[in-house]
Amino acid sequence: MASNLNKLIASVKKETRHLLRDREAFLLLFVMPLIFVLIISMAMRDTFREQGGVVLPVVIIDNDRDVVGPAVIEAFSSIKAFRVETAVEGNGTTEEDIKADVTAGRHKFAVIIPRGATAGANSAVQRQLRFVRGVDAAQVKVRLIADPQLRSDMRSLAAVSTGRVLQAIENRVLWERFAALAGMKITPEREKEIREILASNRPFAEVVAEDAAARAEQGDLPKPTSVQQSVPAWSLFAVFFLVIPLSVTFIKERQAGCLQRLRSMPVPVWVIMLGKAVPFFIVNQLQLILMLLAGMYIVPLLGGDRLEIGDAPVAIAMVSVAVSFAAVSYGLAVAAYCKTTEQATTFGGASIIIFGALGGIMVPKFIMPPVMQRLAVVSPMSWGLDGYLDIFVRHGSVRDILQEVAGLLVFAAAAGLIAVLRLRRTTR
Amino acid sequence: MPRMKTSVEAAIELGGLVKTYPGGASPAVAGVDLVVGRGSFFGLLGPNGAGKTTLVSMMCGLLAPDAGRVRIAGLDLAASPDEVKGRIGVVPQDLAVYPSLTPAENLEYFGSMMGLGGSRLGGRVDECLRIARLGPYAQKRAETLSGGLKRRLSLVIGLIHEPEILILDEPTVGIDPQSRLFIFDSLKAMNAAGMTIVYTSHYMEEVECLCRDIAIIDQGRIIAHGGLAEILAASGAGTVEIRAQCAPSEALLRRLGEIDGIRQVSCEGSIIRAASAQPTAAMCEMIRLMEEAGAGILSVSHGVSNLEALFISLTGRGLRE
Ligand SMILES: Nc1ncnc2c1ncn2[C@@H]1O[C@H](COP(=O)(O)OP(=O)(O)O)[C@@H](O)[C@H]1O
Ligand SMILES: [Mg+2]
Repeated sequence: MASNLNKLIASVKKETRHLLRDREAFLLLFVMPLIFVLIISMAMRDTFREQGGVVLPVVIIDNDRDVVGPAVIEAFSSIKAFRVETAVEGNGTTEEDIKADVTAGRHKFAVIIPRGATAGANSAVQRQLRFVRGVDAAQVKVRLIADPQLRSDMRSLAAVSTGRVLQAIENRVLWERFAALAGMKITPEREKEIREILASNRPFAEVVAEDAAARAEQGDLPKPTSVQQSVPAWSLFAVFFLVIPLSVTFIKERQAGCLQRLRSMPVPVWVIMLGKAVPFFIVNQLQLILMLLAGMYIVPLLGGDRLEIGDAPVAIAMVSVAVSFAAVSYGLAVAAYCKTTEQATTFGGASIIIFGALGGIMVPKFIMPPVMQRLAVVSPMSWGLDGYLDIFVRHGSVRDILQEVAGLLVFAAAAGLIAVLRLRRTTR
Repeated sequence: MPRMKTSVEAAIELGGLVKTYPGGASPAVAGVDLVVGRGSFFGLLGPNGAGKTTLVSMMCGLLAPDAGRVRIAGLDLAASPDEVKGRIGVVPQDLAVYPSLTPAENLEYFGSMMGLGGSRLGGRVDECLRIARLGPYAQKRAETLSGGLKRRLSLVIGLIHEPEILILDEPTVGIDPQSRLFIFDSLKAMNAAGMTIVYTSHYMEEVECLCRDIAIIDQGRIIAHGGLAEILAASGAGTVEIRAQCAPSEALLRRLGEIDGIRQVSCEGSIIRAASAQPTAAMCEMIRLMEEAGAGILSVSHGVSNLEALFISLTGRGLRE
């Protein structure tokens, strides 16, 4: 055992020497992911961050199918800041569908007009006209479901706009009725009384933006900005590409015959593999740290939002260590199964992209079809991203990321086992 | 078991070794029994694809045989692989050096992997650099060295732990003549000092001049085994080599093959080779037939008994076909 430990130390030393000897390649291991994450975070910014001149896609669900629905659609259509993409008939669209749609960001918010909205509004107006004091419970509740990623100023804009639209409908109906009641003399006192009565008979409840998906309630959570999602997501994606240099050096070593030479020596396979894994693990950790620091300090310099990393450094470290275990083990498995460096580059690269897609890096998982969502369990990036988002967005602690860490470790163990078994069996 | 008696004397004993690669149509090694005596300089000669590397890989524990057993210095390889691996030095067919490391670092690394450490490791690294005369290059990256120097480095890596047995798989491929001679001299000296050497090659000249004990392998089988003089005498092989002006016709080759006493005729471009126990008689008859057929003859040589001829007479093919 002691001698195997010495062999392991010698292997780590050899591998580190090899890595450091090609300075340019070594620097690129850090520079390329950094540039990648910065560019992607900047490029993705506007799809998440609404700024002046940006048009918000809105979906309006008309369960009323009477006067109010078309009026709302018409009113929203005339507001420049909104683009009414679809006006869905109520049938068959469940609240979950709508929420998923909005959470996915396909629409920034959804306006749901309840069944019987026109009738409810009419009877409220009738009460107003007859000067009867109303009951709030009878109000028509038009709902506004907002993307949790929507910034608060945008949320209030949406709520206020919806309120205004409803106010306009109310006024139109009301004053139409007033016109019908001809010859009514309105004194200032009368008008004051009328306004009070009208106020007590508001046909529409005040519009408050609801979240389409859960946001953690407590305290001051970081604003859900694009950076919170894209920096961890694309960092994970970038650091997984370590699989390529790792498997390529391994395959080159095999092609040069070094691995066979080692196998003709009294060296267990695990020593050979760990000798490779340890230096690459350290590189992977440094890459992750660099990416997160970039999100915190470089992205703001470029005009983006700052990455808020929550308040559970131990949890971040646990997720990061598990991510690197997974990436390094996967690299070893790719090396063990690919015959040539070309195969490793192509297969390694493509499989990382697939893991990324399955893991919700490119498209959030919740908008994928259920089958794909279930497939996400095979993607280490899915576990890693969930882990980081738990900490960064939902302010989770160690307890909240245990499941994700376990998922990553299972992946790492499976890949490592596959690699060891394969290397034991084959030496060519 | 009768072999038990010899096991003290034998460096390597192979019994019934078989290996078929996954997807391979025929076995790469098809039942090899072989005993290599302690202190011998053993040559394993065979054309490309004969199964030399496969056989050697099974000898040094790189490849598990489908059947059969390997004993090294009386130890069963399957039962105590690490002990066996500690006693043999392997110089693989591929260079098997780390290009980004210097010769000294390569030696140091592989030495550590053999379990050496401390001052003994340092001493062995220096000694191996000295043997390979790599001193001036010790601190240059291996990738910057010439092919010959890399081969020398590869050779001495196999010596780093002072093995009893050294197994070399075609160690002179792609090498300059000086380095080749240098390697030959080193191997001879080490063998003289008592090291058992197994030397694999498809160059019969190398095996002829280096090895006292020779096995010829073809299509995974040992087709001849013994001392050089012994197997040449036993086969009674002689060759005739005729260089014609142009490539002979199929019909002519067939007629040449029918000559009495000729065992094999092969043809490489315009060079015709034949194996026969009576090469002089065969040669006369061949010349007659070729002149009859109007094939111009540029040169003729005959009667040299060598491994090449033996190989042709055994297999009907040249070693380099
Ligand atoms: N890894 C492998 N997989 C499949 N077939 C192989 C492999 N290595 C060698 N072979 C085949 O086994 C036979 C013997 O090969 P090898 O032992 O390398 O011969 P040699 O060393 O004498 O040139 C050849 O037919 C070769 O094609
Ligand atoms: Mg070979």
